[in-house]
Amino acid sequence: MNSILDKLLAILRRDLLTAIRQRSGVAMTFAGLFTELAAFYYLARAIGPGFHPGGVQYFPFLLVGTGVYTFFLMSAQAFLNAVQQAQQTGTLEVLMTTSTPPAELLILSAISAFAGSLVNLLVYLLAGVAVFRAAIHVDLISCAVALVLSLAIALSIGVLAATVQIALQKGSALIWLLGSGLWFLSGTLFPVQSLPRPLELLARAAPLSYAIDAMRGALLEGRSVTTMAFTLAALAAFAVAMLPLALGALSLSLRRARQCGTLSSY
Amino acid sequence: MHDRCDAARVLFNSQNQIRWIFMNQLFFESVRKVFHHRPALFNWVGKERGGETIALDGVSFSAASSEIVALLGPNGSGKTTTLKLISTMLLPDAGSVRVGGFDSRHDGSKVRRQVGIAVATERSFFPRLSARENLNFFAALDEVHRRERPRRIEEVLIEAGLKEQADTLAMKFSSGMYQRLGLARALIKHPSVLLLDEPTRSLDAAATSNFWTLIRALAVQGATVLLATHNFAEAAAVADRLLLLHQGALLEDRKLNGRESADDLRTLYFRRIGEHQTDPDHAMPREIHPARAAS
Repeated sequence: MNSILDKLLAILRRDLLTAIRQRSGVAMTFAGLFTELAAFYYLARAIGPGFHPGGVQYFPFLLVGTGVYTFFLMSAQAFLNAVQQAQQTGTLEVLMTTSTPPAELLILSAISAFAGSLVNLLVYLLAGVAVFRAAIHVDLISCAVALVLSLAIALSIGVLAATVQIALQKGSALIWLLGSGLWFLSGTLFPVQSLPRPLELLARAAPLSYAIDAMRGALLEGRSVTTMAFTLAALAAFAVAMLPLALGALSLSLRRARQCGTLSSY
Repeated sequence: MHDRCDAARVLFNSQNQIRWIFMNQLFFESVRKVFHHRPALFNWVGKERGGETIALDGVSFSAASSEIVALLGPNGSGKTTTLKLISTMLLPDAGSVRVGGFDSRHDGSKVRRQVGIAVATERSFFPRLSARENLNFFAALDEVHRRERPRRIEEVLIEAGLKEQADTLAMKFSSGMYQRLGLARALIKHPSVLLLDEPTRSLDAAATSNFWTLIRALAVQGATVLLATHNFAEAAAVADRLLLLHQGALLEDRKLNGRESADDLRTLYFRRIGEHQTDPDHAMPREIHPARAAS
């Protein structure tokens, strides 16, 4: 356990130092977040105060929806970028010769990529509240539960994207497909109840729509764990199903890449 | 219990615990490795065709503790594939690779704990980390104890001749400095098997000489060293044994007695692979050959 923590700290330190030394990159990420917030703020104003999706004001509705969506996509993309870069520089092959088992190494790297995106999400939400005056009513416990379950699902998506990258060199295509599909179907911009029935059912099959629902309930309506039991149970079921599946697929793809000599193919 | 019959001796240490001593640290047994090439799905425009490359075909050898083995052979002969198979970057299609009694296919983690590799790829580091930070990162993944790490990093930086550049970002390194950093990384976990792929390709003469001394010292301490090289002088200077690979087959496995010169190895090489040796004196036109131009 100590050794795993030690490795996680080494990976976090590597990613933090790399991010800090790419000063313009960090500045541009935060500038992008503020621009996005401003765009949604004025969109909500243009639509007017009469629109209350799910019983909340539209700007806070957008703030949480786009924040959680961006967190899912950005963290999976950040992890995938790290894997692709490691393939291109030959670092991935060398990392696979260290004493750390390959699957463990990739999961620790994913956790680090997700920690960075979590910071972005917190900055995004705090700026939305502090600068753009989004009205919130938080239940901290249900927020923590929803966040942990969402993290497990986001981690699974990131690991699956890395698996597709290692097996088929097409991780970016998977992220693009998920990104464009989920933008439409996850309730990021409007409630999924507005969709035609078949599309609504499809939206209900996407774990991101439950993550967004749960975070909205916890952050905007102050709903407790018990009043969100169904949504949280659905999130937990997705997490329990997806995480072992993603880890199994990753182990298989790494073994296959070792057999075929394609660890560094990109 | 794992197959531990690789010429092992059982000793008892001071606590009366069993300690295995491997006379042969590394076993490569009838190893075959084939790379299959599949063309792209919609490949109507390009001329890429499918096929396969036999990288190694039934290659067998072993290497003992304290032995330095030079792998010689032309490009594509299977030298790097051999090193990658030992490091578990690749898995064999047939045959077995064992390090310290552990099979690379079934006990990959145990094999990796014993093997350090310095690859020929220069840029396999994190460019925005310094040499020290890169080594600290890899040491953590190689499970070097947290308290021991700073001292160990200092040692390998000195051994690789990078003490002065320890806090320089890797992105500012020259090819030679990258190569030294690769060696430092390979040494950080005290490997019992050290794999070196063209380790002196970008080093200057002084650094090369220091490197040869270091390799000898590591072998004296008990490390098995496998050295893939195109440099006959290097093989003659440091190796105890020579493996000559050609088109995935092992053509020669010969002990060196320390009296062979680079020219002897060059002659052997060209004779065994069946290519004509170009006389170095006639390789350049008279007008640009420095010695002749001077005369």
